[in-house]
Amino acid sequence: MADLTPITTWTVADVQHFARRAGFGLNPADAATLQAQAPGIAIDAWIDGTGTAYDPTTFTAALATADVVAEPLVGANTAVAGSVDVAAVAAPHAFLAQGADTWRNNLNTAQALLAWRMQHNPHAFEERLALFWHNLFATGWHKVDNTALMLKQIQLFRSQGLAKFDDLLVLVSKDPAMAIWLDSVLNNAAGTNIPNENYAREVMELYSLGADNGYNQTDITQLARALSGWSFTFAEADYILNPASPNQKYAADARFKVYDGTAIAPDTRVWWGGAATVSSNLHATGSITLFSQTLDVTTTANGWAKGENAIRSIISVKGSNCAQFLAKRLLTHFVTAGYSAQDQIDVATLIQGAAFDLRVVLKTLLKSQYFFSAANRYALVEGPVSWLVRAARMLCPSLASASGQTPKGYPAWRLVTNSATTFDQMGMKLLDPTGPNGWKEHTAWLNSNTMRYRTKAAAALALNETRSYNGTTYPLFPTFVTTDWFPTAPASAQAVYDRLAALLQPGPVPAGVSAAWLAALWPTTFTWDAASQTKTRELAFLILCSPAGQLY
Amino acid sequence: MTTRREFIQTMGATGAMLAGFTACGGGGSGSSGGGGTTPTPTPTPSLPILVIVDIDGGWDWLNVTPPNAGTNLGVYQAKRATLGITDPALLTDLGSGMALNKDFTGMDALHALGRVAWIPGIGMPNPNLSHFTSIDLWGQGATVPAGTGWLGRYADTAFSPTGDVLRGLTVTADLPVMLKGATRSFVSITSAGGYVFPSYLLSTSAVPDAATLETGWGTALAASSTDPGYLAGAQAGKLFFDAQNNAAFGTGGSLTARTPTVPYPGDATYPVQKLNGTALTTSLSSQFKLIAQMIAAGLPPQVYFARLSGWDTHSNEAVDLPNLQRALGGSIKAFHDDLATITTSAGNAQDRVMILAYSEFGRRVQENNGGTDHGTAGLSFCVGKSVKGGLYGGYPDLTSLDSNGNMKYTADFRSLYATVLDRWLGQATATTDSLLGSTYPRLGFL
Repeated sequence: MADLTPITTWTVADVQHFARRAGFGLNPADAATLQAQAPGIAIDAWIDGTGTAYDPTTFTAALATADVVAEPLVGANTAVAGSVDVAAVAAPHAFLAQGADTWRNNLNTAQALLAWRMQHNPHAFEERLALFWHNLFATGWHKVDNTALMLKQIQLFRSQGLAKFDDLLVLVSKDPAMAIWLDSVLNNAAGTNIPNENYAREVMELYSLGADNGYNQTDITQLARALSGWSFTFAEADYILNPASPNQKYAADARFKVYDGTAIAPDTRVWWGGAATVSSNLHATGSITLFSQTLDVTTTANGWAKGENAIRSIISVKGSNCAQFLAKRLLTHFVTAGYSAQDQIDVATLIQGAAFDLRVVLKTLLKSQYFFSAANRYALVEGPVSWLVRAARMLCPSLASASGQTPKGYPAWRLVTNSATTFDQMGMKLLDPTGPNGWKEHTAWLNSNTMRYRTKAAAALALNETRSYNGTTYPLFPTFVTTDWFPTAPASAQAVYDRLAALLQPGPVPAGVSAAWLAALWPTTFTWDAASQTKTRELAFLILCSPAGQLY
Repeated sequence: MTTRREFIQTMGATGAMLAGFTACGGGGSGSSGGGGTTPTPTPTPSLPILVIVDIDGGWDWLNVTPPNAGTNLGVYQAKRATLGITDPALLTDLGSGMALNKDFTGMDALHALGRVAWIPGIGMPNPNLSHFTSIDLWGQGATVPAGTGWLGRYADTAFSPTGDVLRGLTVTADLPVMLKGATRSFVSITSAGGYVFPSYLLSTSAVPDAATLETGWGTALAASSTDPGYLAGAQAGKLFFDAQNNAAFGTGGSLTARTPTVPYPGDATYPVQKLNGTALTTSLSSQFKLIAQMIAAGLPPQVYFARLSGWDTHSNEAVDLPNLQRALGGSIKAFHDDLATITTSAGNAQDRVMILAYSEFGRRVQENNGGTDHGTAGLSFCVGKSVKGGLYGGYPDLTSLDSNGNMKYTADFRSLYATVLDRWLGQATATTDSLLGSTYPRLGFL
């Protein structure tokens, strides 16, 4: 069984386990600082983002005003929609993926924005949680075709990712990107029309219950009727045109609306961009039978949207099934894929006991004896994006340091995501999963191709790969061995290994392996010189690429 | 399920048609098997290659090979009032009440050559309408979770435990469950260049100490562990590490360059476009070109895996399905033609390659507003010179749908796998039955 009682003391190793799973890792100094606090208080603050350590002021300022992706490196053509020629755009640049820049609609830029946020957000839990929900409510840019709406959905995960799950599920069901992704915008059950059941099926199978867990085909068609016409409208000011190609327009923001033939004011545009004053009528009338209960799909009682009662009944009627489903997903992402049936029941009981309050659930789970047990240490394979972000957090300059450098000392995430389609080939095309089932986790992250691209990304980071542009050479991942990695010169090869292992925190490395590495790199004497510093990079590369380096 | 006798009644078929049905020998027109000479399949090659094509998303094959006669046509017209393809000018008659949508580019020509075995109504007992459950079931070759795929188990059995790293290969970036064995898995290679370790992200800089890095990484991959995550990393890494050591990957890890001998969909000279007149770009063309290049370069894979996604046509089917059919059919025809010009010491590639295409399910017979929702029985087909062209299994009876309005299957998907394992990959009957967990009737196309 899963012992969900909280720990009362913790070690630096415990802190680092927590930080890897609930964030993107902590370096030894920061871990020691956190360890000085009592775990209950520290974990609450980590999750809530309260306290000076999580103050977003510096982060927000850097995000809003800096050339945060070293964008001048990106070759761009202003005549091509979606290209980003930052040099031609007045600063501040930020990431040019939202607001007035929505027309650029560049996936790689939006991916870079997320990677940068993950690397530098002091409230790392917010980004970790968004990543978790992005996998669970997997929505793909290739169909949504709008970075601003994709990022709006990610922001929903940040702001509501600790709400009650039933509220989150309703908000996701109303989310414009989701409405496009699973055809809610085309679901017409008015009159004798036959509804499109795409969303109704997946919301139960993938987002709340699990396949064949508590519903049948009749429930799917009935829920599809309830959710017919769930769509969105937007304001004229949010219809952003491509200055080079005025026929191309994108919604920078949008608002949920049931298309039931009523006025759309103050908005002026329907979901596909057409001008209108009233919506078309796609919504069903009358009642449905869902989970053997009769529901009026036209009521707006409780301030709910028409059909919202049906979505909420997934939790209110099938709470046990939903809790089991959520428990499985939370365990697989945050704790272990090797949970027992009883562990899953215990976490599901926690979820139902907390009335699906995600903040309570996550705080309890992440403080628990179960979470911190030795068996769950390094029990998971880390997903490739957080794997690379965590390594960048450990090896690249801090936000305070990077923001003061010229050019900025940030990784060129825009190049990492673009030129080499790195996230895609590592098996996680951020913001653009292939299907609504997202990515399988743990060992499913690893195959011969994803391992190949992990070694390439590790090389770029650890071996200081550079890229030349307009006569200037830029590092993809700025790194400084003698300052950031080794503020104190190591006295031996073993000391080099120990420090790198403390930064990169691989899973258990077989003793023979680390010894063989050191023997090959430093066969005779050790001197902390330029040659040794190159070898130090090679050792970091080997740790990152090794099987143990994929665990967290 | 529909019995053979019910099917014959539905189709109004005769005994002669039944004979043509199990091995009709192709012929482009009608149930008689065509008026010309029946093409003779070439013998199974000594070094066969199987190319799997995953039609990902659950294709609406009912609009690809729609009914064009009998009671099935009436049901189809009623339930596909908007999306149905019933105009004879848009169809090629395949006989037995089944037609071929002319948007399925190139397939009519391959059918006329007697090189296509069609298996309409392929499926399983207790079908599942979930993409992901169905994909797992099709991949596993079992109707209960098995954890390994039918081709992965084949790799476990047939591949050398320590070698054969390139014998099973997917050109997709992922590793589908179909290709996962208990001890062996397929290698994934998505491009013809840069396949070398260690390599930089953008390949613009020199590696400082490649020999040390290779040795060090090899040491890590060889270390033993009982941890599942560690093992997954070690096995995946070692597969890449060993595969890139093949001599076919020359300087910089690149295969010998090859220019296709025929235009593929998306190429400037390809004669068919999308409905809107734009280029018929498709990732499947690139995947097939890469496979052709690999065969020409002398790489040893016996089984390749490719995928074309986008078939989940809940909406916009009138536009998306024609474009997808053009991309799929056009790519298969181009690939088949291109292979004729590749001859290695193992023989001519067109003689060696059989394509097997499948999808996780078919779609609902009743259309919704502009699309179709998830259904059950599917259509698989095999293409090759050794294939006995024609129709196998039986077209589902559209007047006898299940309680959800979906088709009942007429051929078990494991019959297809058993046929291929026995008669294409050369497994002993008992081995095939063991790999699939039971004995399934073989289909007559090989």
